[in-house]
Amino acid sequence: MVRRLPEYLTIWVPLLLSAAHLVSFSLWTIWISFTPSTLVPVSGWVGLRNYTSVLASRNWQIAFDNLLLFGSAFVLLSLVTGLILAILLDQRIRGENVLRSIFLYPLAVSFVVTGTVWSWLLNPGIGIQKLVHDFGWTSFRFDWLIDRDMAIWTIVIAAIWQSSGFAMALFLAGLRSVDADLIKAAQIDGAGPVRMYRRVILPTLWPITITVIVIQLQFAISTFDLVRALTNGGPGIATQLPALVVYDLMFQRNLLGRGAAAAVLMLLILLAVLLPYAAWRYLQRRRVRHA
Amino acid sequence: MRDRTFAPSRLLIYLVVSLIAAAWLVPLIVVVLNSLRSNEEIVQTSMIGWPRQWAFGNYLTAWSDFCVAQTCVGIRPYMLNSALVTIPATIFSTLLGAVAGYAVSLWRFRGDNWIYGIVTLGIFLPQQMRLLPWTIVLRDTGLMNTLTGLVLIHTIQGLSFTVLFCRNYYVAIPQELISAARIDGAGFFRIFWRIILPLSPPILVVTVIWQFTHIWNEFLYGVTFTTGQQQPVTAALIALSAAVADIPHHGVQSAAVMIAALPTLLIYLIGGKYFVRGLTAGAVK
Amino acid sequence: MPMITRRRLLAGSAAALALPAFARAQSAIKPRLTAISQWSAGSDGAAITALGKKFEEKGGVWQHSPVPGFTTEMMNKLRAQIMAGDPPACSQLKGPEIAAWSKIAPTVNLDELVAAAGYEKFVAPDLAKLHKPGGKWIALPLQIYSTNMLFLSKRAMDKAKADKIPVTWADFNGLAEKMKAGGVAYPIANGGTRPDDGQKFEAALAGISPAAYRAAIMNLDKKALEGPEVRAAFVQVRKIADWMDPNVGAQHFSTNLKRFVDGDMGMMIMGGWAQGVLRNAGFKFEDFMIAPGPSDNGKSVFLLNADAFIFWQRKEPDLQAGQALMAQLVMDPAIQTMYSQITGSIPVRTDVDLSGEGWSDGQRRTAAALKDAIASNQAVLSVAHNMAQENGLTAALIDVITEYVKNKTIKPEQAVTRLAEAVESAR
Repeated sequence: MVRRLPEYLTIWVPLLLSAAHLVSFSLWTIWISFTPSTLVPVSGWVGLRNYTSVLASRNWQIAFDNLLLFGSAFVLLSLVTGLILAILLDQRIRGENVLRSIFLYPLAVSFVVTGTVWSWLLNPGIGIQKLVHDFGWTSFRFDWLIDRDMAIWTIVIAAIWQSSGFAMALFLAGLRSVDADLIKAAQIDGAGPVRMYRRVILPTLWPITITVIVIQLQFAISTFDLVRALTNGGPGIATQLPALVVYDLMFQRNLLGRGAAAAVLMLLILLAVLLPYAAWRYLQRRRVRHA
Repeated sequence: MRDRTFAPSRLLIYLVVSLIAAAWLVPLIVVVLNSLRSNEEIVQTSMIGWPRQWAFGNYLTAWSDFCVAQTCVGIRPYMLNSALVTIPATIFSTLLGAVAGYAVSLWRFRGDNWIYGIVTLGIFLPQQMRLLPWTIVLRDTGLMNTLTGLVLIHTIQGLSFTVLFCRNYYVAIPQELISAARIDGAGFFRIFWRIILPLSPPILVVTVIWQFTHIWNEFLYGVTFTTGQQQPVTAALIALSAAVADIPHHGVQSAAVMIAALPTLLIYLIGGKYFVRGLTAGAVK
Repeated sequence: MPMITRRRLLAGSAAALALPAFARAQSAIKPRLTAISQWSAGSDGAAITALGKKFEEKGGVWQHSPVPGFTTEMMNKLRAQIMAGDPPACSQLKGPEIAAWSKIAPTVNLDELVAAAGYEKFVAPDLAKLHKPGGKWIALPLQIYSTNMLFLSKRAMDKAKADKIPVTWADFNGLAEKMKAGGVAYPIANGGTRPDDGQKFEAALAGISPAAYRAAIMNLDKKALEGPEVRAAFVQVRKIADWMDPNVGAQHFSTNLKRFVDGDMGMMIMGGWAQGVLRNAGFKFEDFMIAPGPSDNGKSVFLLNADAFIFWQRKEPDLQAGQALMAQLVMDPAIQTMYSQITGSIPVRTDVDLSGEGWSDGQRRTAAALKDAIASNQAVLSVAHNMAQENGLTAALIDVITEYVKNKTIKPEQAVTRLAEAVESAR
C-alpha cells in the first residue's frame, strides 16, 4: 500500500485540487448570492431578493434573450463554417498548410484584440461600409454595429472569425480519419463526391460534431472579453450578455450578492443545456453495454 | 489519378477558399498596417487605412520605450513576465493532465468517472465566479501579487481542459497493452513512461498549444493578482489603450499588440500541422 | 476564512484613526507611500508621476502601482488588496464610493492635518462633504473638472455665421439649427460612451434647473424625479442626440475631433479634460472656443467631477509618515497648480490665482464659473462620473439614459418613468 503512495498522490492530488476548487468556488458563489454582499463578501441572509432583483432587471432580460440568440446562432454558424472550411481543405488542394494556418491564426489572438479590431471594421464610419462607399457603391449599408437590433450579429461575426478555425481543425481531423475502406467501397459502388459526403463521411462525423458543439457552447456562454471590447454591451444595453452582467454587477456596481445570483443563474442555464447531453451520453453507454 | 487541377470545379474551390482566406486575413492586415502608422496620423485620418508614412519606429518604441506611468521600458519586461507564467503553467497542467487522463482512462480506479466528470465540468465555470474566491486563496497562501500565484491559478484551472483532452485520447489505446504490461510486473509510472508517453506527442501538442494560448492571452487574473512591473503583457497592452482623459496611442499600441501576439501566432504557425494531426488521433470525443 | 461580518463593518466605519504624532513630526523615519490608481497613461499619468517626483524631492519613497484598465480594474485590485489585509497607503477613489469603501476597512483621520493647513474653507462645501463621511476627513480631492463645458468649433461657427456664445438652452438649440442650415453636417460632436450619454442628461437637467437636479439626482426625491424639469431634460437630450452622427455608436468623443476642428461638427458638451485631449491630438487653441455649459437661469451651473485619494490605515511608521507627507502635498496650492496645469483641470482650492502663465483661458473661465456657482449654490455633483451616487445606482440611471439616447422610439415620458423605477428598485 505504501509502495503505491506516490501513485495515489500523483493521481489524486491534482484531480482533487481541481475538483475541490470547482466545487468550493461554486458553493461559495451560491452562498454569496443569498447574502447582502455589496463591496465585499459579508455574511447574512436575504433569501431570494438578489435573484428577484436580477431577474426583474432589463439588463438581465436582454442578456438572457441575447444569449439564446447569440448562443444558437454562433454554435450553428461556426459549426457550418468549420465544416465547409474543412471540406474545402480536404480536397487536397495546393497550399493546404498555408490555408490551414490562415484559418487557425485567429485562435492565437486575444479576445480583446479581436473585439477591438472588429469594432473598427464594423464601424460604418471607418470600416467596411466606408470602404464600399469609397469604391462607389454609396447606398451600401452595413451599420449593424450601431443598430440596436442587429448589433448582436456583429458579435456573432467576430466570434465566428475567431473560433471557426478550431471547428475546422476538428472536422478536418474527423474527415481524414474516416475509414478508407468505407470510401473505397462507396467508390466501387459508383458514388459521386456529393453522395460520398452525404452517405459515408458526414455520418461518421457525428461524434466530432458533438464535441465541437460542446466546446463552442462553452465559448459562447463565457464570452466576455470579446463583447466588452467590441460593443461593451451597447449600443445602449442592446448587446448585454450574462457574463457581462455578472461582471458588471459584481465589480462595477459593487453589488456582489446580485452578481453572484446572476452567476448562479448562468450556471443554471448551462445545466439546462448540459443535462440533456449528459443524459443522452449515459443512455448511449447503457445501450452499448447492454448490446 | 488524373490531374484535375484545372477542372472547373477545382477552380471554383480555389476561388471560394481564397476569398474566405482573404476575409480571414483582413483583421491581421489592419493591425499590421496600423502598427506602421504614426499615432498622430491615425487620429487625424482614420482607424483603418494605408500608411502615409511608414512608422517603423513604433516597434522599437513598443518594445523598449513606451511608458506605463513612471517606468518607460516598453513591453519587454512584461513579455518576460508572461513567459514566466505561461511556460511553467502550460508544462505543469499538461503533464498533470496527461497523468490524470491516463489514470482515468486506462489505469482505472474507484470513482474515476465521477471525478473526471467534475473536473471537466470545470471548463464551463465562468471567470467572474472565480475572481474573488481566488483572491481569498491567494491571500491565505501568501501568494498575492506573485507570479507563482498566477502559475498556481492557471495550472489548477488548466487541468479541466488538459484532463479532458488527454483522457479522450488515451481511451483509444487498447486496454490489453496495459494489462499485458501489468502482468509483466510494470507499475503505474513505468507504464506511463514506457507506453503512454511515447504514444502521446499528438495530444501533448494539442494540449500545449491550447494551454499556452489561453494562458498567454488571459487578462483578468493578470491584472488583479499582480502589480506594477510584475504584470503580464496583456495588462501592459490594456494600459496602452485605456487612457480615458487622453487619446490612445494607436500606432504604438498596434505594434505592441503584434509583438505580444507573436509567440502564440508562431505556435499556431509552426504547430498547426501537429494540431490537426493530434486532433486526428482523437483529442476530443 | 476571516469573513467580513456586519459587526466588523460597523467597527471599521468608526475606525478612522488619526496619524500618530511622531509620523507628523517627520523625524528620522523616511516617509514611504504605496498607492494604487488607474492613471497609467496620458496626462493623468504624467500628473501623478510629477506628484511622485515632488514626493521624492521631499525625501520620500514613492511606490505607485497604476492598474491598467479602467476604474473597475483599479477597484478590483483595491478590493483584492483589502481582502488580503494589505491595503495600499492611499488609493484613488471618488465621490460617494469614498463613504461606501470606508465602511469595509479602517481609514486615516486627517482632521488635524486639514485644520493645520486651514484647508477646509477653500473647498466647495458639497465636495468637502464627500470626503468627510462620518464627519472626519479621510480623503483629499486632487483636482476638479467641470463636466458641462461647451466646446465650439470656430469653423463651424463661421459656417453658421454666428459669433455669440450660447448662454441658455434655447440659445444652444438656436445655434445648432443655424449650424445645420449653414452646412454643418452634425452640430453635435459628442461620443456615445456611457459617461458621455450621462453627461448630456446631467448638463440638460442642471442647466434647466440646478435645484431640480439637486433634488432629483443628488437627493433622489421622488417628486422631483417625476417632475417637469426631468421630462424637459429628456426632451433636450433627444434634440442633442438627433444632432449627432448616428455612426458614432458607442465610441469615445475623440474619434470626432478632426471633424469637429474642421467644422463638419459644431459643438461638444464635454468635460474640461477635452482641452487636454484636443491639445494632445495636435489641435490648436485657435481652432475652438470654450464656454460654460448652458444655464437657463442666468447664473453659472457647475457640474463637479473630482478625483481624490483615500488614506487607508497602516501600522508601519514609514507608511504613516508617507501619508502625512502626501496629505500636506495634496493640500498645497503650488502642488495643486502643478497638477492642474498638467491635466487641464482646475485646482480644488478656491484661492489659487489662475492669472499667471500656464493656465488656459478655458481653465480660468472654469475656475471663475466654479466660484460663481458655489456662491449661488449651483455647484452640483456629476452623476455621469459617479460623484452624485454610488456606482450601483449610477449605473442603473445611466442604463436608462443610454438606452434612451440610442433608441429614438423611447418617449421622454417613458424615460422619466424608467428613471424613477431605477431609483426605486435600487433603494
